[in-house]
This record gives sequence, C-alpha cells and structure tokens, in this order.
Amino acid sequence: MAKIQAHYDGAVIGGGIAGMQAALDLAGQGFRVLLVEREPSIGGIMVGLNKVFPTLDCSSCICTPRMAEAAHHERIDLLTYTEVEEVRRTDGHFTLRLLKKPRYVVEEDCIGCGKCEQACDWFVPHEFDYGLGARKAIYIPHGNAIPQLPVLDPEHCMFDGACARVCPKNCIDFLQQPERLEVKAGSVIIATGLKLTPMEAKKEYGGGRYANVISPLLMERMQSSNGPTGHVMRPSDGRIPRSVAYVQCAGSRDRTIGVPYCSRVCCMYALKQAILIRQHHPGTEVTLYYMDIRAFGKGYEQFFRRALAEGVRVVKAKVGRITEEPDGDLVLRVELIDEGGRVAEIRHDLVVLSQGLIPAWRPVGIVPARLDEDGFFEVPEVTTRPANSSVDGIFVAGVATGPKDIPDSIVEAGAAAMEAAMYLDRISRVEAEEAAMSEVSND
Amino acid sequence: MSLRVDPALANELKEFGGGTVSRCFNCGNCTAACQLTNQDAVFPRRYIRYIQLGLREKMLGSVDPWLCFYCGDCSETCPREADPGNLMMASRRWLIAAYDWTGLSRLMYRSVRWELVLLFAVAAAVLAWFSLTPGFGFRLLAAHPEARQTVMLQCFAPKDVIHQADVALASVLAALLLSNAARMLYYARKHCQPAPASAWLAALGEFVIQGLTQKRWRQCASGASRHWLRHLLLVFAYGTMFLLVVVFLKWFQVEDASFHWTSLPGYAATLVLLAATLSIMADRRRKRDPIHRHSDVSDWLFVILLFLTSLSGILLHAARILDLPMPAYALYVVHLMIAVPMLVVEVPFGKWSHLLYRPLALYLAEVERRAQRARAAAPAPLAPQPAWGR
Repeated sequence: MAKIQAHYDGAVIGGGIAGMQAALDLAGQGFRVLLVEREPSIGGIMVGLNKVFPTLDCSSCICTPRMAEAAHHERIDLLTYTEVEEVRRTDGHFTLRLLKKPRYVVEEDCIGCGKCEQACDWFVPHEFDYGLGARKAIYIPHGNAIPQLPVLDPEHCMFDGACARVCPKNCIDFLQQPERLEVKAGSVIIATGLKLTPMEAKKEYGGGRYANVISPLLMERMQSSNGPTGHVMRPSDGRIPRSVAYVQCAGSRDRTIGVPYCSRVCCMYALKQAILIRQHHPGTEVTLYYMDIRAFGKGYEQFFRRALAEGVRVVKAKVGRITEEPDGDLVLRVELIDEGGRVAEIRHDLVVLSQGLIPAWRPVGIVPARLDEDGFFEVPEVTTRPANSSVDGIFVAGVATGPKDIPDSIVEAGAAAMEAAMYLDRISRVEAEEAAMSEVSND
Repeated sequence: MSLRVDPALANELKEFGGGTVSRCFNCGNCTAACQLTNQDAVFPRRYIRYIQLGLREKMLGSVDPWLCFYCGDCSETCPREADPGNLMMASRRWLIAAYDWTGLSRLMYRSVRWELVLLFAVAAAVLAWFSLTPGFGFRLLAAHPEARQTVMLQCFAPKDVIHQADVALASVLAALLLSNAARMLYYARKHCQPAPASAWLAALGEFVIQGLTQKRWRQCASGASRHWLRHLLLVFAYGTMFLLVVVFLKWFQVEDASFHWTSLPGYAATLVLLAATLSIMADRRRKRDPIHRHSDVSDWLFVILLFLTSLSGILLHAARILDLPMPAYALYVVHLMIAVPMLVVEVPFGKWSHLLYRPLALYLAEVERRAQRARAAAPAPLAPQPAWGR
C-alpha cells in the first residue's frame, strides 16, 4: 500500500469500471490520482457480471486487467473500504474528508494468504453472489478482488480468535478503529455508479417473497463460471428451469415507484442472459415480456435479432401481477396486446425481474454539485459537455449522471478525465500568471 | 370497414373528467391487473387506446366501460399514473352523454352551471305546480281553513292527484331512459355479427341477476365487497321507496297525524338511505379508496340530492306525526322540489342512468360471448375454391 499523499491532481470517487477508467485516463496524462472506493475491492458491478453485450465477451476478463492496472499504476493511489464524507471547495482546490473503515486486518502487513478465511468457522450468505453462495465472517471479497486482502465482518464474527491464531503475519487487529483522512485534490471525478431498484418495489410481482422470482444480478452470478452454482437453477429446488420469464421494466418507467425513466440496459442484459440460457439449456424456453425493446447502441439491434434467431420469445405485454403455485412455479398475468388485447395467464418456473438503475450514492450536503430530480448528477450542458457537473472542477462519469451501459460509461469516463486535465491545466496557468503578477508588483 | 379518426376526442374526454388520458403509453398493465378481465372482457387499455386514437365509433359501440366497477387496482399500479380506473369512469359519463339523444346530458356533464340551472328550473316548476294549480296545493289549502289547524294532506296534495303525477313522471322518465338504452343497444350491435336468438334468450338471466344484485362487483379486489354491500342496500332502499311512492302511494301517504303501519318499510328504507349516503359522502371526502379519489360534480350532486330527499322525507313524516300542519305542507313541497329535479335530471341524463345501462351492458357482453362460443362450435364453412385458370 502506497502512502497516501496530502495533495493530488485528481480525486476519483468510485472504483467501478467508470471510476477506474477515469483514474487511468487522468494518470495516463501525467497527473497524480487518488482512487477512492467504499467497498473492500474495486471493480464495481462489472467484475461480478458474466458476459458483456453485444459481444458476449467475458466481463471479468475485461474488468480485471483494468483493476490491476489501476491498482498498480505509479501515479494512482488506491483507497478501498473508504467513504467520502465531504467534498469542499477551498481556495483553488478541493478538500476531501474521508473515512477509512476498519478491515480489522493490518493492510501493510497482510500478504493475502487466505489462512484466516480457511480457519474461520462461520458461514454467511455472500453479498457478491446475492445471497446464493456463502463466505466466511473474515473473507477476501472474491477471487478477482483487488486488493486481495481479507475483511472482517464484525456483525457475523464470533471473535473466537481462530483467524488470529493461524495468521502467519499476526496482522488481525480486532481493535482497529475507523480512520479519518483529509486530502486535497485539484479536481474531482465522481463515478459512483448504480444500485438496482429493490426487488420488493413492485409488490404485485412478489420479488423477495417468491423463491423463484430472482434478480438479474443473481442470474449473472449463476451463469458465471466462477459463480456459486455454475449453471442456472431454481432457488427453490435447484432444478434447471424449463421455462424462464423476464419481466421487463420491473423497476423502470414506472411512476408508482418513483422511477419514471428508462434504465437503458435492461433490454440488452435480459436478451444477453436469455441467449446464454438458450445456449446452455436448449430445452429451456425463455420469454421476455417487454413494453418496448430499446436496442440503441452499436450492434445492439443485430444482437436483438440474434436473440430472436436463438429462439428467445418476446411478448409485448406489461406483466400485471405474478402469483405463486404450490410447486414454486409462477403464473404471470398479462394482456397480449399484439393479439388484439387478450388476457392470458402464463406459467413459468423461473422469473427474472428486470430491475431498474438508481444512483448508488445520494451525496446531498456532501458534494456541492447539484443533483437532478431523479437523484443523478445534473449535467447542465448535456449535449456539449456531458462530463461536467454544475460545479467547475467536479466532473462526473458513468451511471452517476444517469443510467447507461458499460461502453457508454467508459466513453464518459474518458471525457471526464480529459475535462479534468484541461481544467487542471487552466488552473495551473492562472496560478502561474498570478504568481508572475505578484512578482511584478513586488518589483 | 374504414375508420374515422377524430384527434379532438381525447380533449373531449377531458371535459368529462378524463384529464389523464394522454399520459397512457398503452403497456396493458391495467388490463392484466384487473380482477374482472378475462378472454371476453378486455379493458381498460384497449378502450383508452380508442380514445387516444379518436375512434369515436369504436368507443360508442363498446360496452367495456360498463364492465368496470372501479376497484382501482389498475390505478394503483399504473406505471404512468394515468389513472385508468378514473378514465373508465369518465368514459361512462361520455357514453351516457353519447346515448342521450336530447343533448341535455352532454350539456350538463360539460357545464356545472347548466346542471344547476336545470335542477333549479325543475324545482321551480314543482313550486309553481303547488302554488298556481287551481284546486291543488296552496290554492286548495286556501279553500280549507280547517286544514290549517291540523294536518289534512287531502286538502293540500290529494293522493290521487299525486299518484297520477307520479305515474306520468315515471312514464316520461322511463320513456327517455329506454329510448337512450335503445340507442346504446343499436351502437353496441351495429358492427357485430348477428347473434342467434338462443344467445339473446339464454343471456337474459345475466341481465336480471346483475340488475338486481350487481354481484359481478364482488369479484373485484378486496375492499370492493364493502362498497358492493353498501350499494346493494342503497339500491334496495331506493327501490323500496320508489315502489311505496309511485305504486303504493294510496296506502303509503297517510292523510292525517295518525301513525299507520305502512310507514314501517319507509322507516327502514330511509334509515338505510341516510346512513349509506352519509357514509358515501364521508368516503368521498376522505379519498382513501381509488373509487372515491376523484369526485366529479355529478358524483357529489347525486349523493347530496339523495341525502336531502331522504332527510326532507323523514322531516315531513315527523311534522305530520307531530301534527304541525304548515311545516308539514311546506316540507311536502320542499321534499318534492328536491326529489323531482333529482329524478328528472339524474335518471335519464345523469349518473342514475347506469341502473339500466350497466345490466344492459353486462347482458350484451354475455350475448356476444355466447354468440362467439356458438360460432366457434359450429362447423367451419367450406373454404371457397380458388378460381384456377382465370
């Protein structure tokens, strides 16, 4: 772990794909960058995904090299498991108040051998696998985590000392305290990404209540080769599903849950998962219930056509409600609009709710930049300066400004880094001019 | 069949309380969320689409809005907050106006002022009838000084005169309502294939049962059965009073201050009417259930007039029993000045017309369902041979 400096050219908040890209692009231009991530590992949502659309490339194979590059870059310092408590503008630069949460592991000493994790006897549902897999009470977040350092979860730890006894470096510290840091940065890039709308948001869909109504991110983990199951299965009985339904807009374009906008990625991720289900289990039917298929990016329309060719069924219907049968199957009630408006109840044995995207971070009173009514960062000149927030010197990228997919997030991260570089150049020239002026007046 | 499109139709519906019609993006959530929809009943989405596209003929010919009992499941979950339940309500108002050939209904739904003018005009006519008719009302009372000492209704409003007036009024209103219902029937069947007579006959049961019990309402979401029960009691109480006043007036109108057992069913019915109308007014103020969230002027007038009719009726009864002649006569006039305008305005032109339209719509839907079943069961006609060699 590099020593944290007192002053950086740029501070990047959020270590997902957009944040990492912004940090790399800014550091690549010669600036010193601090990358702050609130989770124990960088990588964000993307490192947990299975494949990316429309190429069906392995997601972690694209993401992990960037994680390693960001972590090992000579001009990037990494602060994981750290919350940003305040971003304040102070003459000519920004001051960030940070809270480094305790891992209960001395980071400088730990060699990431994993013996503590093996010694721990306590199993906990694993957040990385959305509850389907298990982890220990002290655990390295996941196989691709960077840094490969364990974190102790005090809520589930029994403090029996098993980990401490086996640690070869004696670096388990049960008394570790949160640490407050203050750093200065010339500019700030915010890439704090997304979380999904709650599974329970649409009560009539039974998310969180019915075992076989699942989140698309759990589907990603089930489909991942490093996932908890290695293949798709029904949570209720472990059976390979015969008939999977995707309920689109189960958390988007819906005023009743306060998300009136389109989340822009759900059509594509659902089609991607559907194609992969069809490829792995050709006997399994997959049906997408959609309002509109929004396949807008490069190669996306072709991807949609490909899904149809692979036997994915798409049905124009908004699902009205879902009821559970005694055997765990689910009955979806829909109006089949393309059949002249016929009411139908259709049975499936696994249902994926295409949850929407909402901002992961609501920095009201923390960051001086304004948010828009949906909670994303306001971008005053959205057509001409898409990475500029309402505050000069604070730049935004990725889902922090609104729902978008990985390619768009990466483009925007590059834009934010370039804007930050231009801003830093402008500031330094102003400072140089001021210094020259004061020299003249002193003479 | 070619379709005529009227782009102004959505704006027209807004005048009937359907202000949210343009919000709908036709996802079909409402139809799927509804407990009453099935293969034969598909609403509200399709009907809202008709409005948005301006398909006046389709709207006129569809009875779908009458199949809705406004439980509000659709409105609770509508992703656009377009309030489809209320759009069905607005469509029912639009249909009532469209069925009415006199144009009065349209006038009243679109302008509160006109509705009030008509109500007051009829009330004034009632007052004039009592004041100006020789040998009746106040002029008859003037000829009988003894009737000012004690209640003697035969010296103010003789029951044979009132009875004749009742029957005359009932006949006119029934003729108006039936002629409007005939138009509804015509529009509904205009573009349908003829249904076999057996379907028309077999579906009659549906008309009678739904007209008497509105039991379809009970299939609505939970909470609807409370509204259904209250409505059923209201219907029966109102029906009782109607029978007592129009058919059995000879026994119901007691002429002097004495008590007569014929008042007993009147007590029961009046009690129910007062309780039910008060409870409806409370619900409309509280706006907790979707069905009470949007109250049009016509919804308020309906329940307020019914309440005032019951109240003035029971006060009239009290004044007669207490032998207060002048208040009793005055209340008699007031009672009729509320009841008659309510009936004249509401039954053929207003909200009350649903007492015929709704069972008729359910009947027509059942006829069409049976006709389609019969058609599906019949052997398919031979396909025409292609004309080879032409």
